[in-house]
This record gives sequence, structure tokens and C-alpha cells, in this order.
Amino acid sequence: MKKIIEVKNLTKEYRELKAVDRLNLDIYEGEILGLLGPNGSGKTTTINCILSLLKFKEGTIKIFGKEMNPNAYDIKRQIGVVFQDVAVFDELTVEENIDYFCGLYIKDKKEREQCIEDAIELVGLEDFKKFHPKKLSGGLLRRLNIACGIAHKPKVIFLDEPTVAVDPQSRNNILDGIETLREQGATIIYTTHYMEEVEILCDRVVIIDKGKILAEGTIDDLKEMASIEEKISVEVYDLDPKHLDTLKAFKNVDTLKYENNSLLIVYKKGKNNLIELTDFLKKEKIKYNAINMMRPTLNDVFLDLTGKELRD
Amino acid sequence: MTVFKTYLKILSKCKMPILLYTVLLVFFGGFNIQNNSGSLSFQESKPSIVIVNEDERVGLTNNLISYLEANSVVEDIELEESAIRDAIFYRKVNYAIYIPKNFHRDFLNGEEPYIKINSTGDYQASLAEMLLSRYLNLAKVYRTIFDEEEKMIEKMNELLEKELEVEMTSSLDTTAMEKASLYYNFTNYCFLAGLIYVICLVLSSFKNEGVFKRTAVSSTDYRQLNRKLLFSNGVFAFALWLLYVLLSFVLCGKIMWSENGLLLIVNSFVFLFCCLTFALLLGNAIRNKEAINVLVNVIALGSSFLCGAFVPMSFLPKSVLTIAHALPSYWYISTNEAIKSLEKIEWNTMLPILVNMAVLLGFSLVFILATNWISRRKRQLN
Amino acid sequence: MLWHNFKYTLEKLFKNRALIFWTFAFPIILGTFFDMAFSDIEKNERLEVFDIAVVEKSGYEGSDYLKSAFEELSAEGENQLFNTHFTDEDEAKRMLENDEIVGVVTLQETLKVTIKSSGIDETILKKVTEEIVSTSDMINVFVTENSQNGQWTIDNYEEFIERVVAEARELIETSDPKIEDISSKNMSYTMIEFYTLIAMACLYGAVLSMTAIDDVLANMSSRGKRVAVSPTPKWALVLTSALASYVASLVGVALLFLYTIFVLKVDYGTNLPLIVVLSLVGSLAGLSIGVAAASILKADENLKTGVILAISLGGCFFSGMMGITMKYVVDTNLPILNKINPANMITDGFYSLYYYETLDRFYFDLVSLLLFSGILLFASICVLRRQKYDSI
Repeated sequence: MKKIIEVKNLTKEYRELKAVDRLNLDIYEGEILGLLGPNGSGKTTTINCILSLLKFKEGTIKIFGKEMNPNAYDIKRQIGVVFQDVAVFDELTVEENIDYFCGLYIKDKKEREQCIEDAIELVGLEDFKKFHPKKLSGGLLRRLNIACGIAHKPKVIFLDEPTVAVDPQSRNNILDGIETLREQGATIIYTTHYMEEVEILCDRVVIIDKGKILAEGTIDDLKEMASIEEKISVEVYDLDPKHLDTLKAFKNVDTLKYENNSLLIVYKKGKNNLIELTDFLKKEKIKYNAINMMRPTLNDVFLDLTGKELRD
Repeated sequence: MTVFKTYLKILSKCKMPILLYTVLLVFFGGFNIQNNSGSLSFQESKPSIVIVNEDERVGLTNNLISYLEANSVVEDIELEESAIRDAIFYRKVNYAIYIPKNFHRDFLNGEEPYIKINSTGDYQASLAEMLLSRYLNLAKVYRTIFDEEEKMIEKMNELLEKELEVEMTSSLDTTAMEKASLYYNFTNYCFLAGLIYVICLVLSSFKNEGVFKRTAVSSTDYRQLNRKLLFSNGVFAFALWLLYVLLSFVLCGKIMWSENGLLLIVNSFVFLFCCLTFALLLGNAIRNKEAINVLVNVIALGSSFLCGAFVPMSFLPKSVLTIAHALPSYWYISTNEAIKSLEKIEWNTMLPILVNMAVLLGFSLVFILATNWISRRKRQLN
Repeated sequence: MLWHNFKYTLEKLFKNRALIFWTFAFPIILGTFFDMAFSDIEKNERLEVFDIAVVEKSGYEGSDYLKSAFEELSAEGENQLFNTHFTDEDEAKRMLENDEIVGVVTLQETLKVTIKSSGIDETILKKVTEEIVSTSDMINVFVTENSQNGQWTIDNYEEFIERVVAEARELIETSDPKIEDISSKNMSYTMIEFYTLIAMACLYGAVLSMTAIDDVLANMSSRGKRVAVSPTPKWALVLTSALASYVASLVGVALLFLYTIFVLKVDYGTNLPLIVVLSLVGSLAGLSIGVAAASILKADENLKTGVILAISLGGCFFSGMMGITMKYVVDTNLPILNKINPANMITDGFYSLYYYETLDRFYFDLVSLLLFSGILLFASICVLRRQKYDSI
């Protein structure tokens, strides 16, 4: 796979705070890379550095194999950015906004018209072309924000939390749009703190906290890294403390909780946990039903790695 | 109390406009008028002049200058051409007099040396011209009958120094009263621009769509809330008025204790009430802060310019004053003007003043009715 | 790309209603108020015919002469000063009380002028009466002096006196004092108010350029970030945005000019090309303030707007918008303040075109404006050269 972006040793400091700390990051052609981290972890700062908006203390950034700088217009032409804040003009209509930003990339008017149409179709704003941003709901506004960033058909797209505070319908629309963009051949860097989105969307995930990479890999890779194997919940009645003690003594059990006739066991690595559990229950003649087995989620991984919940 | 406290908190965000208008009031209302001490005897108006003398200052020339100095105010400015021209244009000086070289010699020799003048053309300048031509006329006649310069000057001065007996009937201290009424005229702008702007801003914070919806669904009695807001606005308006009245005592002095001064205060209170009702109307009718800013500025400046808060009423064109009748400010300021020259408090002198105040209260009534109508309509969103 | 940004910047500016109100409509509204309030001031300051009363009582010698003198001064015509009512004491008193007349001249043993309060009309009444009295005294002196060394006999004495009096009268009447009036015809000081208005409109252009340029700076707005990651060079965007805001501000100034010239009849003098040059350069000063505010001031838009308004309104205040005396006072007592005040440079430029025949002062103002704009633009460029930011 071809490396499209290569970040080496990036360090960015704001006075006392180290926002990005010796960060190395490679991004490959055609992938959707999820940049995951809690609020204030340095995701946006990293992107702003890659885009040459921010000065940084150390490190090199190469895009398409060339050094990135503010005047690297040939590189910039291939990049699309959707910032976290909605960045559009209230005075211009939906169509005009897209035209304005697209016009900064594409001179040819005909070509641009086609691009605008495609972008509007992609985000599903066909019915709102002549609307002013103030008249759009939050979700629609976000979609416009995206359209403005990607209308010029860039090869690399940065999406900085594009789904924050967006209704489910708009969110699905946005996620579908991102899939479409990838199918059209774009490489996408996607920051978010929504775990589900990453699991649906991303080929590869990088988890950052306090400006450092904690882990990276495919979703399965990451889940492998988690210290837990699975969680099993069972609806059981008449379990007494003696039983619980026996269960606790099983080899793979990490923690165990019994409340309101519901037993939840978290297992460390290991196989055959379910069989072991059902055998035990049968042997002790304990009635049970509704067994539920859950694989670890990225959230568990994240919790494991950072000690924080992703959404705070 | 919660409403009032919140009101005060939002109000404290509006410190700047309140401070700004108070400073303007002190500057324009308090210091703008020259502080010449009032007097109960006749004071001659003296034109401001400059004299550029290219002659030696002896004899007739010297006497001319002395005469002018005695009857006018010679301004101390740079005697350079552009400085004089500027001074004339900006009315620092009404009349510039250029005495040519060898003036007194040529004049006594029967020649007619030209004295150049540069004049603003206003009445002060006319007065200065009167002084100058009187002197020259006299000199012309006397040079035919007196041969000696000294004798002639002596005889001239005999005539020039004769003064008429003047009797002044009014006992009103017009200067101090003038100043006080000027101050109160300017409060017109401060009440309109400052008070209304601030009240509208605070109201719009209380009534913007989000907050309004939240209050509307809360268990608070809507009418009670409105009454509390009204009370808070009233307290604020009263405090501001009190501040302006206190300032007037500081700036205008003891004239404010006179009957006329107290009438000015009463009048301003009536106007304050009118402004308050108007502010409530505007604050209820418009919730967009940008639009409030625009409207308040236009209304305040318009009322102040058209009704004589900035330029004295007597200087305004008749047509403008006719239009001004439609504005509350007109009735407020004409009352101030009437109070200024009010000598005796009697039924027939007070009547026009009371009528003006009644008109202001009439305006207030209309504003109150309109506010009620609008707020009833706006209680439910469309 | 250049045209694209230029066009859209113009569109954005013209669609911003609040902005357009304050930069375009507000000066026009204010100008209308100025016109309504000031149009009669100067007329009111000219000497006008006013009403007086003359009351004749017994005992004054020169009664007839005085009466005829007042009649003469009340005759309609160019030299009319008074509107004289010859009446009795009570009626005169009533008229004075009701402000129907300015004063009463009572002809009695010792001549007396009665007025209500001190004032300019009252002073003129006093001075004119004094002059009338002194003229009659002067004739007496003339006669006395002439009779001392004149040739007359008992027989022709009366004839002689008549001749001398006529001579004196003629001397007075024909002896118009030789006064040469060198006053300028353009004396209307209220014009200054309108010049400050133009200055205000020029400087308000700063808000336009500040708004336009903030939109392309990554450290000032989120839209600017978007623009900064595009392949269009920053200098091109800043330049075209600035240009668009300049054009927009010129449109506003031009509208104000047309309105003040054709509706309000403001007199800008006769040198049209220089008036245009001054407006162009004045707007440039406004532009430079806006560019500087956008690039140098690191603050939110409201604060920047506040700073610009403070500079322009403060500048206008010192150049005479709220009373022209302020301009003169600052010009003469604290000249440095008005030498660095762009509003005054513009106002003073118009003033010198209107009032002065020579152009030295005008060019001084023009060059000051260019210098002012140049310094601000240079400082802005130094800051704008930065492409990456420490924080955004």
C-alpha cells in the first residue's frame, strides 16, 4: 500500500501544555483511518499541524511524499477538510457557499458546477439549494459544512468530528456519504469520539491521548489487545454466595456481579468460558435462561488503555 | 426577587452604554456653555475681533485700537494669515481688522486709506462693523475741523465715551437658567439613547425565543413575571433619573433649587416616564438586538436633532418644528424652554407648561396600550 | 480565482444587512438630521430687523432729529435695522413684557433705553442709539467749531448755520468709511459637519474590510481555516477581499456624496477631481484601519468592531462632528492630535478645498492620509506574512 501521509516525530506545545508529543503516523491510500481520543487529546491539533495551519516545534510532515508547507498548493489541491465548527457564510445560500469554497480549488466554471451538484447530492441537500444557512437545522448545517469541504473531489479528506450533535437521520446520511467518498477512491482521516462510527466505518484506528499514540491497528487488532475476552450475562435465580465464590474461583473470571437475578461475568483471555459456565449451572441444578455473550467493544479497549470513558 | 436579581445581573453587562451617555451628558450638557457669571445689570455683547496693525501704534491709529479694545474682545491668536482665516471660519473671531501702513498719517493728510476687514457676516460681525465705521465716520468729520491730531483725538473720545442710560427690567438670572435648561435638553438624548437602549437589551434577553419559551412553560405566573420586570425597569429608570438630577445640581449649582429649577426636574420626571413606557413598547415589539440598536439610534438622534436637544429650538426651521410636534421630545424640550424664561408662577404662565406635560402623559398612555396589545399577541408564538 | 473571491466577498458584504445599514444608510440618515437641524442656524446668526418702540416724553432737545433717525433706520430697504413703533409708555411696557419688542427708547431729559435682558439685539439697540446721539452731538461740535473761525455776520447767521449743518450732514452721508471686505464667500461652517460625515463614512469602511479579511484568515475565523487549507495563495485572497471591501465602501461614500450634493445641497467647493481623489484616499485610510484591525488585533469580531467605531467616532468628534468648535480648539491647542487623526485629515481636506484658494493645506492633508494608510498597511503586511500560527 502506498503511504499518502507520513508524520514523523511531531511535537506541538502550547506554553505549558504538550498538545502533541513525538507523534508518528502513517496514512495509506484508500483507507479510512479513525483518529480516536477523548476531548482535548490532541486530535484536532494534529490535523491542524498536518495541514500546516499551526506552527510546531519538531517533526516532519510529508503528504504524497512531499514536505507539507503553507505554500504547497499542489498538495493542498488534493486535500479536503471538514472542520469541527460549521464554517460557512450566513450571507450566502447553500449553493453559493459550496461554490465559493469549491472555487478556491477549481477555476473552471463548468467543472465546478458538476462538482457542486455531486456534493449536494452526496450530502442530500437537493431540496435546500437556495436556503441560507440560518434556515437550516443543525444536521443539515453539518451536511452543508461537509459539502463545502469535499466538493472539489479531493484525494485526501480530513473529517474532524463531523457528526457532533447531529440527529440520527443526518448522521446516517453523513456516514453513507463518507462510504461513497471512499468508494470513489478517497483516503479519509476521521476523528471522532463515537465508537460505533469507528467500528462501522474505519479500516484502521489510531487511539491518541495526551498527544501520544496509545495503540493503532485494525479494529480486530485492537480488540485483541484488550485484556478481556468476553462478557457473559445470564438470568439466574436463587444463586447463593457459595455459588458465587465457586464461580469466582474459575480460571478466567476477572470480575463478577450478581444483582436482581442477573449475573454478569467478565472473562479474561481464554476459551470455553461459556461451556464451563453452563456445565456448572446444570451441575448445581440452577435454573437459568437468556444467556447473552458480548465480545469486547472498542470502548472496552479504550477504557482499558486510557482508564477513561470515551464519551465524557 | 429572582427576577430582579437576574435583571441586575444582565443590567451590569450594560455598564458601558450607561457610562458613555452619562459622560456625554456631563460634557455637552455641563461644560459646553461658557461659564460667564450671570449678572442682573446690563452686559454689552462684545464681538470677538483681531487687529492686524501695520502702522505704528501712535496717534489716531493707537486711539482706534484702544477704542476697539474697549468695546470688543480682542482674541489672542497667532496673527498669521491662515490662523486668522481659520479663526474667522470657526467663529472664534467675528471680525478681523487690518490697519494699513502709515494709516494715521495718510488719514490726517486727507487721504482715504483702505482698512481691510475679514468678517463672518453674523450679527457679532455687524456689531464690530458698526463700531469701526462709527469711529471712521467721526474721524472723517473731525479731521476737517481740528488740525491737531491730539486735540482731535481728545474731542473724539469725548463723544465716543458718552454712554446711554440703560434700564433692565428682568430680574431672571438668564445665564444660569440657560445652562440648566441646556443640560436638561441634553438629557433628552441620554434618556432616549441610553435608557431605552439598555431597557430594550435587557428585555430582549428575557424575551428571546429560547428563554421566553422556557418561562412560558414554567410554573411562574406570566403576568406576575411581567409585573416584576416592569418593577425592575422602573427601579432602573428611577435610579438613572436620580443620577442625572444629582449631576444637574453639581453642574448647574444653586439655580436648581429655584422654582424654575425644580420645575425642570419635575418635567424631566414626566419625560422619563414617557421614555420608560416607550422602552417597554419597543422591548416587547422587537427582540432582535441588532434591530433594537438601529432603531434606538435613529429615534434618539432624530428626536434630539429635530426637537432642539442639540441645536436650540429657536434656530430650527419652522418646517422641522412642525414635524417635531409628533415626537414626545418636542413637548419635553419646549417645556424646558418655557421654564427657562418663566418669571412668575401663575395660572396663565403655568398653563402651557401643564399642557405640554399632559401631552407627554398622553403619549405614555398610547405606548402603554400598544405594549399591552402587543404582548398579549406575542404570548403565543406563531 | 481572484475574480471568484472578489465577487463573493462583494456579495457577502452587500448581503450583510446590519453592516450595510451602519456603513451606508446611517451616514445618510445622520446627514438628513444634520440638514434639518442646521439649515437655519447661519441665517439666524445674521443681523435681522427687529422690533423696538420709541416713546416721546417732554424735555429732550433733539427729539425731532432722533425720531427722524429712527424712522430712517426703519425704512424698508437694505439698511433697515429696526421696525420702530412710536407709541406711549404703557403700550411700550406691555410690548416689552410680552417679548414683542427688544427694547424701548424713551426720549426724555436724559435719554433712556429700556430692555428686558442682556443680549446681542439689545446691545445693537444701545449702540445705534448712542451713535445717533453722538452724530447729533458731532454736528453741534462741527457747527460750533466752524462758527468760531467761520465768516458770518449777525445777518446771515441763520443762513450760515444752515449751510454748515448741511455741510456736516453731507460730510457724514458721503463719507462711507473706506473699508475693504476681503471675507471669503464660502463661510458656511455647518459644511464641516457634513465633511465629518464623509470622513465617518470613509472610516466606517474599516468595518467592511475587517469583516471581509477576517473571513480569509485562519486564526480569525473557522471559515478562514477552510480557506487557508485551499490551494489559493493567501496574498491573493487577502488582496481581493480588501479590494472588494474597498469597492463596497466607495459605493457607500459615493451614495453619501450624491445624496449630500443633490438632496442636501452641501457645498464641496468647485474642484471636483480633487474631491474625488480625497474621497478615494479617505476610503483607503478606512480600508487600512480595517486591514490592521483584522490582521493585528487578536480579538473577537465584536471587540474589533468596537475598536474601529471608537477610532472613527472619536476621530469625528475631534474633527468637529458634535460641534465644530471642537475641531478649532484641537487644531489650535493640540494640533498633534488632529495631525494623526484620519477623520480630521479628511475633514480638513474638504475644508481647505472649500475655504482656501491655495492647495498647500489640501496636499498636506492628502499626504498625511497616504502616510497614515501606508504605515497601517505596512504593519498589517508584516503580520500577514505569517502563514502558520502558534494557536488558532
